[in-house]
Amino acid sequence: MKAKFAKFKEWLLLPGGFGIFTGLLMLGTMILLGIIIPNFGPYKPDEFIGDPFLPPSWQHPFGLDQLGRDVMTRTFSSVGIDLGVAFLGVSIPLAIGTVIGILLGLAKNKYVLSLAGSLIDGINAFPLLIIAVAMLTFLGSGLRSVVVILAITNWARYARISRTRAVVVSKQNYIEAAKTLGFSRRRIVLKHIAPNVSSETVAYALSDFILVIVVVSGLSFLGLAAKPPMAEWGSMIADGRAYLAQSWWLVIFPGLALCWSAVSLSFVVEGISRRDRGI
Amino acid sequence: MLGNHLLEIKNLKIDVRVTKKRRLSIVDTASLIIEPGEIIGLIGESGSGKTMLCRSLVGTLGRRGAYIASGELKFDGIDLITAKQSVWNDIRGKRIGYVPQSALAGPNPVMTIGAQLAEAILQDENFPKSDVEKRSLELLNIVQIRRPETVLKQYQHELSGGMKQRVMIACAIAQQPQLIVADEPTTGLDVTVQAEIMELLKQIRKDFNTSIILVSHDLPLINEICDDIVIMHAGTTVEKIPSKSIKASKHPYTLALYNSRIDLVLPKGQLKTINGQPPSVGSWPEGCRFSERCDFVKDKCRTKQDLPLIEIGSNHQTSCLRYDEIAR
Amino acid sequence: MSVTFDSYGDVIKAVDHVNFVLPKGQTIGIVGESGSGKSTFARVLSGLQIPTSGSVTFMDKPIQNGKNTYEGALRKEVQMVFQDPYGSLNPRMRIVKAIAEAIRQHQGLDKKASRVAALDLLESMGISNLDAQKFPSKLSGGQRQRASVARALSAQPSVLIADEPTSAIDQSAQAQLLGLFNDLIKKGLSIVLVSHDLGVIRYLSDYVYVMKDGIFVESGKSEEIFNNPKEEYTKKLISSIPGRSTK
Repeated sequence: MKAKFAKFKEWLLLPGGFGIFTGLLMLGTMILLGIIIPNFGPYKPDEFIGDPFLPPSWQHPFGLDQLGRDVMTRTFSSVGIDLGVAFLGVSIPLAIGTVIGILLGLAKNKYVLSLAGSLIDGINAFPLLIIAVAMLTFLGSGLRSVVVILAITNWARYARISRTRAVVVSKQNYIEAAKTLGFSRRRIVLKHIAPNVSSETVAYALSDFILVIVVVSGLSFLGLAAKPPMAEWGSMIADGRAYLAQSWWLVIFPGLALCWSAVSLSFVVEGISRRDRGI
Repeated sequence: MLGNHLLEIKNLKIDVRVTKKRRLSIVDTASLIIEPGEIIGLIGESGSGKTMLCRSLVGTLGRRGAYIASGELKFDGIDLITAKQSVWNDIRGKRIGYVPQSALAGPNPVMTIGAQLAEAILQDENFPKSDVEKRSLELLNIVQIRRPETVLKQYQHELSGGMKQRVMIACAIAQQPQLIVADEPTTGLDVTVQAEIMELLKQIRKDFNTSIILVSHDLPLINEICDDIVIMHAGTTVEKIPSKSIKASKHPYTLALYNSRIDLVLPKGQLKTINGQPPSVGSWPEGCRFSERCDFVKDKCRTKQDLPLIEIGSNHQTSCLRYDEIAR
Repeated sequence: MSVTFDSYGDVIKAVDHVNFVLPKGQTIGIVGESGSGKSTFARVLSGLQIPTSGSVTFMDKPIQNGKNTYEGALRKEVQMVFQDPYGSLNPRMRIVKAIAEAIRQHQGLDKKASRVAALDLLESMGISNLDAQKFPSKLSGGQRQRASVARALSAQPSVLIADEPTSAIDQSAQAQLLGLFNDLIKKGLSIVLVSHDLGVIRYLSDYVYVMKDGIFVESGKSEEIFNNPKEEYTKKLISSIPGRSTK
């Protein structure tokens, strides 16, 4: 036991250790509360409990909103939605984009390369939020549409990273060594090229995760993703905006929760990047 | 100034601030004396501290959090340890020139060669701007660059490794310095280019009486070019010996280095290596730092700290405690 | 056994109309300065690059078949060690795994046995079991080169092509690597050593080819080349070696 603690302390002292630890701790707290409070707490997110606009109190630490619902329960029940949607919105493009990027990076056909290259660069030229808003007006809004849109467009960012990386990796000596050793092409791609490419795309995915959380909330704020009566940070903030002056708790708590999640993740990402750099 | 050596380093100690409390010594008990017009070779394995020692001569220690902890460092009588920025500005680039390692630095990629030479020439604020081009061509001729007018307009990436180094040397000699510090100037260059650059350095010494410190890990090279050789190991100068007498070395490390030369071995013969690895910074052993690798070690080698160079003959100094017992 | 080579240039005429023979059990050195085309030549020999014209034969069998080189059982015979110890090993694979993978490919052992064999092989190259479990980034340049050699040897080749194996490592690691090559030569390995370092070439080679601008300007027995160079360029090269000035 002592040995394990000593090992942990050593890991902590390496560059970035504190950042990763703090970030994970913060994120873990949020997720834990997101599981416990909505499921085991006294109230339900949609339950009309008491007088609207009741200020924070012992029974309702975050107060009640404009329809008399418990803000705390609603805030934490949004964790699953925001983090869950963001997770899907990142992991699907990550998978698709990485694979396409590797295939392109290794492709030799000139036509395929230029066509795909233009496509990827074209998609990447637009900021994510703009594309999302534009497509949502066509596809109709809602959380499901958001995930679909992210899958359709965000993969291009991963593909660009993974393609460049695949090209670089394939020229390395250890790949040439694998060829002279007679490894099958399949083996080389799966065991040698892919891990070295995905390390970059996964790193990007972590920071993308933060962005997507904010985008999802932002879209909900605009009324394009999660809609009332769903408890979601963005839509809660949108609803509560009108009452900000008198009943600040309708907006502040979901806002803080959003910030907390984003900040915790950025600690983790910063910590990892420091570790890689060796500071 | 009469009576002054051109460069005098005495028991220099260079430390590095690792954390707020921890300090590491990178160079310790290093001594070196150079007179005008001498070419001195500084040789050592990686981690020997030779690069740090060079940095202390051009005043770039601070950039890496290093500083001189103790000892003396005098250039032409001027104390460089306490020297203010204004003093350094007069010395760096003007009286002490620097030629960097060929593979690493080099001409600034976004400036033309002409622009960089001009910068080096105009370090002398009184130099008339109208004469800059003439002087640039003059310098390029000294370093034996053909078609200098074309080169002035080119950028770094258009030049070969050898030409780049010649340009760096041209910049270094622009102010006719008294001392040039050349840190592995030909490492990574082809051997024919290396030979030419070495000839060039010898010519510069001859024409301008410039002293040169040539840092390298290549003993045959240093042996051929330099008047005297200073050997460094684990942050200390362990011996100073004239090139031609290297076989009569009185330090086990120098002897080991000499005997491990690949050009002295018969093809496919037994290669002599030096035992172990040089101790890394921070884990220097007690006593003589070569003791763990030395074939000649005795107990007293491990206990005596701080082994400075001792004069044992004409222009020959060593730090080995048992030097008088080394027969050849 | 011989590897013969007879080729014309690459698009940029990296290698121009050269002829080359490697007899069994011999070490041949190819010496040339940067840009001489020697690395390209090494890669053609190992099958990584296809010459624009001409052919390479191994034991009188052409190595090329359409777009493929060294097919089937032929592949293991010629292996390569590269210059850069940093790029030669997969950074995401532990050393022992990388070697075991090669062993599994060529010696047909199962996972467990190949791991044991890998540890043994690495140990014989001076890499301890402890170090073998590490990732490449935790080893020194010299250790990485030796690991690369171990990987190449797992295929039990008859020819090893070494492209500037000592150029990126320090003196003592160089000496260790050369000693290792020496031992391998004694065990019967044929080596093609490509380098710009004349000392290394002189130490290991029986026969030397001097390359300049894509052509072999001179070739001959090692002692002949070093003590009695005939061509101007060769003479210039030899006299540039510190201590060997003919002035």
